[in-house]
Amino acid sequence: MRSPFRPRLEGGLVTAAGLALLLYAVWPWLPVPGRPARPRTVVFYGFSILGEALNEDVLPEFARGWRQRTGERVEFITSFAGSGTVTNQLTLGVPAQVALLSLELDAERLAAAGVVAAGSWRHLPHGGVVNRTPFVLVVRRGNPKGIHDFSDLARPGVRVVHPDPMTSGGANWALLAEYGAAARRFPGREEEAGFEALRGVWRHVVAQAASARAARTQFENGFGDVLVTYEQDVLRDAARGTLPGEIVYPPSTVLSEHTLVVVDRNVAPADRPLIGALVQYLWSETAQRLFVRRGFRSVDEGLNAANPAFGRIQDPFRVADFGGWDRVKKEIVDGIWKDRVMKEIGK
Amino acid sequence: MIGRRNGAGIPVGLLVLVLLPLILMPIAAVFVFAFRGGPGEFLKALRTEDAQFALRFSLLIAFLTAAINAVLGTWAAYVLAKHRFRGERPLAIAINLPVAIPTVVVGTSLLLLWGPIGLFGKLLAPLGLQPMFTPAGVLLAHLFVTFPYMLGAVKPLLDELEVTYEEAAYTLGAGRWQTFRYVILPALKGGLFSGTLLTFAHSLGEFGATVMVSGNLRLRTQTAPLYIFAQFEAGKVAQANAVAAVLAALSFVIFFFLLRYSGTTGKERT
Repeated sequence: MRSPFRPRLEGGLVTAAGLALLLYAVWPWLPVPGRPARPRTVVFYGFSILGEALNEDVLPEFARGWRQRTGERVEFITSFAGSGTVTNQLTLGVPAQVALLSLELDAERLAAAGVVAAGSWRHLPHGGVVNRTPFVLVVRRGNPKGIHDFSDLARPGVRVVHPDPMTSGGANWALLAEYGAAARRFPGREEEAGFEALRGVWRHVVAQAASARAARTQFENGFGDVLVTYEQDVLRDAARGTLPGEIVYPPSTVLSEHTLVVVDRNVAPADRPLIGALVQYLWSETAQRLFVRRGFRSVDEGLNAANPAFGRIQDPFRVADFGGWDRVKKEIVDGIWKDRVMKEIGK
Repeated sequence: MIGRRNGAGIPVGLLVLVLLPLILMPIAAVFVFAFRGGPGEFLKALRTEDAQFALRFSLLIAFLTAAINAVLGTWAAYVLAKHRFRGERPLAIAINLPVAIPTVVVGTSLLLLWGPIGLFGKLLAPLGLQPMFTPAGVLLAHLFVTFPYMLGAVKPLLDELEVTYEEAAYTLGAGRWQTFRYVILPALKGGLFSGTLLTFAHSLGEFGATVMVSGNLRLRTQTAPLYIFAQFEAGKVAQANAVAAVLAALSFVIFFFLLRYSGTTGKERT
């Protein structure tokens, strides 16, 4: 037997449930008395491996300090993706005020697109470089293929997992590491040594992922014998024993340098002191120590002793040793890797 | 009835066996993984600021999308059903197209149109307006992607509606609005309800277009599906699954009401 008012009761319940859901959704935006004012917001974009260090340590610490000094709450709206992706998003107009990119080349692209003033980042401390991390090799446990250097990747039967230089900033650093390690060993015939080294490695690349993070996922899912990646991205898991492999430090490798840009056109005049303080804070000892704790190497070398997990590199080098990214992009990435190596091996 | 039940064991068993890994197990897995750390961990994962924002923001966008498209879709259905005009079929096809276009393509075209280098974007820029990478951009994408659902739910009912009722209303002296309000609208009730629910559900789960136009900003434009994706990418499976379980549960409830109210309209329940 159906009671005549049951449908009405049920309809009422459904409506009530719908209204409750609506109330839940709009709750934070309702003007409830006594609720603190909406905090000021800073939109911060970063390349992929920065997410945890910034969201969990570096930015909350700044917000705490700012609140102590000014009584104002600051909220960080963040977004992390491959450096190339972030650069494209900035070009398309995302409202970021600050962005930390994987390589200076992406900052140059932003300048070329008119998003930031040309060279503006070079006026920041350390030429805009916030922190560094060396490029390392990750091999399967026990190092069954006996890999100790980039030159070992050219040996027959070694399968390499590599991020894609077309989309990944990390991959460009990896190219420079592979080229530079060989070029520094054979002074006088740098270019040929570098070319042969790249050809040797790239013959054995079995998987190219869109980002360094994605390459690592492929390696963790069982692809390949060796992965070329940022030390920072694997340091924490290696220390915890959750990395399905072990880190090998090549005797000679590049230290990647991560460049900060301030997108002035997205900074309202009232926010300039806040953004200025944030930028200065990133190079403060507090922030640099937090980066070190998260596995990044500080631009202040003295602080790096605080992280015992950092491996020793006999001969670290920088992009400046090869004339900066403008030259490296033109002569090594495009001139040698793209035009000679990839053509020869037909990929 | 009895005859049909006989010998059903084997085909039904076979069907379940095939559907188990394809459909049934993935549905169960969402909940199994969400609760693997116990209900305490599940609630903790849900209570984070980011998760709360993502859920509320998704619901808000879904409510707005459903409300706007309920009106727009009904209006479009009415115009298309009542008027015969040249180009009617192409128009009908065009506005139904959003179901067929890959959502990522929708996202890119919206970006190209409304972004700073696009046609509308260039017009809006001097006014200081930039809808892309803001909640308004997300709403635009959802309105586009879910537009056909309301239309699809309402138009068949309008097509079936006898013109005589309307004519009778006019003869009795009813105005256009009165006729619509008291004659047409009641006949559309089932369609309006199911269309709105479908729109709501699709908006709640929209991913492809949203990921393009939102800029994936946490606490500003990150919807629940984007949150799930971002957490999963960062290796935080528990966080991702907690929100995924809530979304899945919501869609079950919506689906339940869809079946209960619209699936049975006009038919006797047994």
